[in-house]
Amino acid sequence: MSGFWLILQKDLHAEFRKPESVISMVFFGFLLLVILNLAIPLGSEISSETGAGILWVAITFSSILGLNRTMSQEKENRCMDGLLLSPVSIEEFFAAKMVVNVVLMLLAECSIVPLFFILYGDSFFQSLPMLVLVVLLANIGFAAIGTLFSAITAGTSRNEALLPLLFYPLVIPLISITVKVTSMIFQGAVIKDYSSWLYVMLAYGCIFTGLGFLLLGHVVRE
Amino acid sequence: MSCFLTVKNLFKEYEGCRALRGVNFGLEKGDFLSLFGPNGAGKSTLLGIVSTLVSPSSGQIEIKGFDLTEEPEQFKKQLGVISHNSLLYDHMTALENLIFYASLYKVKAPENRAVELLRVVELYPRRHSRVGQFSRGMRQRLSVARALVNDPALLLLDEPYSGLDQYAAAILTEQLAELKSKERTVIMVTHNLDHGLNSATKVGILSAGCLVFMEERDSVDPALFEVEYLRHVQGAVRA
Repeated sequence: MSGFWLILQKDLHAEFRKPESVISMVFFGFLLLVILNLAIPLGSEISSETGAGILWVAITFSSILGLNRTMSQEKENRCMDGLLLSPVSIEEFFAAKMVVNVVLMLLAECSIVPLFFILYGDSFFQSLPMLVLVVLLANIGFAAIGTLFSAITAGTSRNEALLPLLFYPLVIPLISITVKVTSMIFQGAVIKDYSSWLYVMLAYGCIFTGLGFLLLGHVVRE
Repeated sequence: MSCFLTVKNLFKEYEGCRALRGVNFGLEKGDFLSLFGPNGAGKSTLLGIVSTLVSPSSGQIEIKGFDLTEEPEQFKKQLGVISHNSLLYDHMTALENLIFYASLYKVKAPENRAVELLRVVELYPRRHSRVGQFSRGMRQRLSVARALVNDPALLLLDEPYSGLDQYAAAILTEQLAELKSKERTVIMVTHNLDHGLNSATKVGILSAGCLVFMEERDSVDPALFEVEYLRHVQGAVRA
């Protein structure tokens, strides 16, 4: 079994044994959706733009909890050194951590998105198939940036405060594109209207995945 | 004849501070080097560079002809490291930790190897306990097992006796003696003269980033060596 699969299996096993990350992500996402729902008058419908914004506020803010957790477990007892000492390549390590982050975010979104439909109207529900694609592309971008920066901040004493400061400025372009595409999907636009944005999202994910492969080795070694 | 481990002209600078200033030495297969030195002499930096965790500013390291910078993957397969930290996952059991590390090194039948090592460090009855529940001594014993999981040709030990109770220290000494008999090469950084001199075939003193003393153990008088070592420790304190 390759180093990639071993690290992936270890992390997912740890998460399924004690699902701290997913539970905290889901809980935080729920909390945001409920609080934002209180601001909307009873019986009134929200616009597709507002709906998209609310959904991505919940997803983006909850995702940071998972991103922090996946790298922090390598910090305990300096387990990261154990991985760096082994013949596993830094690319395998980065890819495994990134996939773990994508999986955790998907698991949390499996609860957050249905709650969004319940609270904000089932009129958005018809857009679910295309929303799944957008969520996947956004997750790749979030996970690529989050994995790289959680590795950088894992070596610092205040990593939980530092990660959001580095993460959010870099994902703002991705969030704005994602919100735009999601609102177009909620409006019932056809795919050719927003396909170019989907390519931009894919490119964003690919660029930061590439940067992660290139930079992580320099980041984690003294 | 080329050495098993060659360290050539090794320099390391941290933001203007020189931790290592041109360290040179070679070790043959089966050599056991005990490295002494005052705090801040660069001992842990040297081990960090040999273990690939720290990048050197300049210099070259070869193990069995594999260059550290050119073939890091081949280089790492030959290494085992025991450091101040256990490098073990608290949420995993002792057995899971060893199987995980054995699998990373592509050891054949990783479960059998893990069980074998757990018996050696006398933790087999606690194999299904999580490492988070272990005492400091038990963690250190498991850390010894982790470092041996790939049957390394070169073992690096950074203060391995620190925090160990007598029982755990005896197991470690036994393991080091076995490694010596199996002709494994060992570099041990320690402040404990008794442990260091008893196990070593070579002794060295690193002071202010320079290897100021390097001799065969047999040619060294322990009393005179202690004087020499204390001279460097006191010199470092005055500086």
